Amino acid sequence: MKTSRKLFLLLLILSLPTLFISAQDDMDMQIGFWEECATPENLPETVTIGAIFSLSGPVSVYGSVQNQGVVLAIQDINEAAYLGEGVTLEVIFEDAQNDAEQAINAMTKLIEEDGVVAVLGPTLSTQAFSADAIAQENGIPVMGVSNTASGITDMGDFVFRNSLPESAVTPGTIAQASEILGIESVGVLYGNDDDFTVSGYEVFVDALEDNDIDILREETFAVGDVDFSTQLTNLLSDEPDALVISTLAAEAVQIITQARDLGFDGPIIGGNGLNSPSIIEQAGDDAEGVIAGAAWNIASPNPLSVAFAAAYQEAYDFAPDQFATQAYTGAWLMATAIRCADSTDGQAVRDALAGIEGFDSPLGSFSFAEDRNPVHDPVVQIIADGAFTVLGADMTDE
Amino acid sequence: MGFLIDGFNQLQTWLLILLSPLNITEPVLQFMLVSAILGLSIYLTLYTGMFSLANGGFMAIGAYVSVLLTQQAGWSLSLSILTGMIVAGIIAVPIGLPVLRLRDIYLAIATIGFGEVVRIMALNFDDLVESFIKWMVQKEILFDSLISRAETSDMLDITIRDNGNVRVNFELLGGARGIKGIPVMAETWMLVLFLIIVIYFIIRLHRSRLGRAMAAIRQDEQAASNMGIDVVYVKNVVFVLSAMIAAAAGGLSGHLTRIIDPSNYGFDLVVDILAYAVLGGTQTWAGPVIGAMVLRALPETLRGFSELRGLINGLILLGAIVYLPSGLVDIKGFRGLVAYFRNNRTQRKEMVKDNANT
Repeated sequence: MKTSRKLFLLLLILSLPTLFISAQDDMDMQIGFWEECATPENLPETVTIGAIFSLSGPVSVYGSVQNQGVVLAIQDINEAAYLGEGVTLEVIFEDAQNDAEQAINAMTKLIEEDGVVAVLGPTLSTQAFSADAIAQENGIPVMGVSNTASGITDMGDFVFRNSLPESAVTPGTIAQASEILGIESVGVLYGNDDDFTVSGYEVFVDALEDNDIDILREETFAVGDVDFSTQLTNLLSDEPDALVISTLAAEAVQIITQARDLGFDGPIIGGNGLNSPSIIEQAGDDAEGVIAGAAWNIASPNPLSVAFAAAYQEAYDFAPDQFATQAYTGAWLMATAIRCADSTDGQAVRDALAGIEGFDSPLGSFSFAEDRNPVHDPVVQIIADGAFTVLGADMTDE
Repeated sequence: MGFLIDGFNQLQTWLLILLSPLNITEPVLQFMLVSAILGLSIYLTLYTGMFSLANGGFMAIGAYVSVLLTQQAGWSLSLSILTGMIVAGIIAVPIGLPVLRLRDIYLAIATIGFGEVVRIMALNFDDLVESFIKWMVQKEILFDSLISRAETSDMLDITIRDNGNVRVNFELLGGARGIKGIPVMAETWMLVLFLIIVIYFIIRLHRSRLGRAMAAIRQDEQAASNMGIDVVYVKNVVFVLSAMIAAAAGGLSGHLTRIIDPSNYGFDLVVDILAYAVLGGTQTWAGPVIGAMVLRALPETLRGFSELRGLINGLILLGAIVYLPSGLVDIKGFRGLVAYFRNNRTQRKEMVKDNANT
């Protein structure tokens, strides 16, 4: 009995958002190139795109929210008849877990068997390095919505991404932090066995040197570690003004709480790994003074971002993170390219995608650079009073 | 050779059309073949009664060596894979001599350790070289030649700041980021050809003196030794052969995936390889081959179930292991299964007795 009631409630909750979303149509209208491109006329009844995400396995935390972001975007796009009356945009989701081989298999299946117009994903940069080359060879545009490693778009002119790499976020974070907080020396802690954290570390080192901040010591850890007290004790013995950490979300909470336990109360500066509401939830008061630079944060005052966050909250009952937002924006960008191309031809969609400029999205005003990398403003935030606030704004208040 | 390859490609096209309802596309088939080769590599050691799990480590060695040779030195694929095999074989000797004195689970642990050492070496190799060069620069050992080397090479980068800080950047294996942009040089016919060669080699091996010695060691090491078989020698030869086959699989797969990074060769891989042998059975060489192919194809075939496919995949494997405990390639096991479903108790008991006797 109980389970069936729960199931019924679940179905009820799931059906609610569709009602709300249709009511909110007028708000969502702002997204997209409504005026720039005429309503397409030559599209078939269903336009199919593919999405390769890590829906199961160890990185499914990212893949499942990406999936939800895309589902929400497709609902919005179809309800608004963005591709014209009677034209439905359809997405085939493929799971690639966390390995490159499955990404290759999924990409081959989507292109050869399903004949998709374009592909979103894959979740991991290592998967992108394997699978995107197949899309390139077949002339199918592919857009990474979470790939941040350098060199992704060097694979070819059909490879795009809308995820701002750390190298575009970090210099701003360090410059602002040193200017506002007057930081002169730091200790650096980073994970040395992960693509993302190593890239983040290198960008931090460059940014620190550019701002003439002394690196007193560097320490490393491995993904999956839970005890960082040795490294932190070493780092704190030099009495740095701030700690810089390049980590994924999983290790971040432990590092922050252990640093606070060791008596460190200065700022802790990090990249996207610290940009998660769960940091505040899990680290509590210890999270105060954590500075995170990221492509997007829920505190963003951008009206489209606020509307998206509300719609997402309604639909799934929890707040979106950066991955959901980037996936949502990615689906809209791809739909816009198809709308502007008025065609399902790979080359035409690619050209339209490359031509997108000043697209109003939850990420802000979005453009593609010459090298198909994203251009939009990142946000630098500090955790104060249990919430993310924009770094500069917080300081002027005081 | 050319018309043979053409003929094979024709055959392959037809095969792929036949297999397409199972969601098996060409890349899936390629990874199935690579896994089959890996299955044979663990088959050799299991056949000799050694529970060795070093295959992942040797696969990594083969992959890194051959990829570096094709990418950096411009060697041909066959030559670089051969070199990768030889390097893995040479490394296997000093590893095998002490480690193969261990047995059962202790051997397994030691060989897993070897795999981890290889993975962590690949992860930190660039850092190691970096700190060594930094030390040399600071001590001004070979200073001029290092600086001039750094100017001409894209791998090495040395910056000396005004305050005397030295920053060295060395990139060969790429650490956690791995090696990217590897050209796809391996083709399906090469994989099939290599698999056939290895299978032929194993069939011949079984009938040779060495093969008989391997079987004898598996059945009773003490007795084999008493009969005059040089147990240490045979075990090491098999260990080296197994390492070379794994290295070849590594080299081939490295030239399929376009990127290799240390996380590909972790503990998960070792478990996968062992699962090929467990699922397929180790009575004959066909066991690990079939086991590997089924295990690789299953997640793709089950794509239709989306998120549930991991669960269904697991259930199928569990069923196979419960009802066919000695592997998919085991006629007795299938007969036992038929008997089970006919609910013929007497026949089942006989089967159990039969199995117990063998």
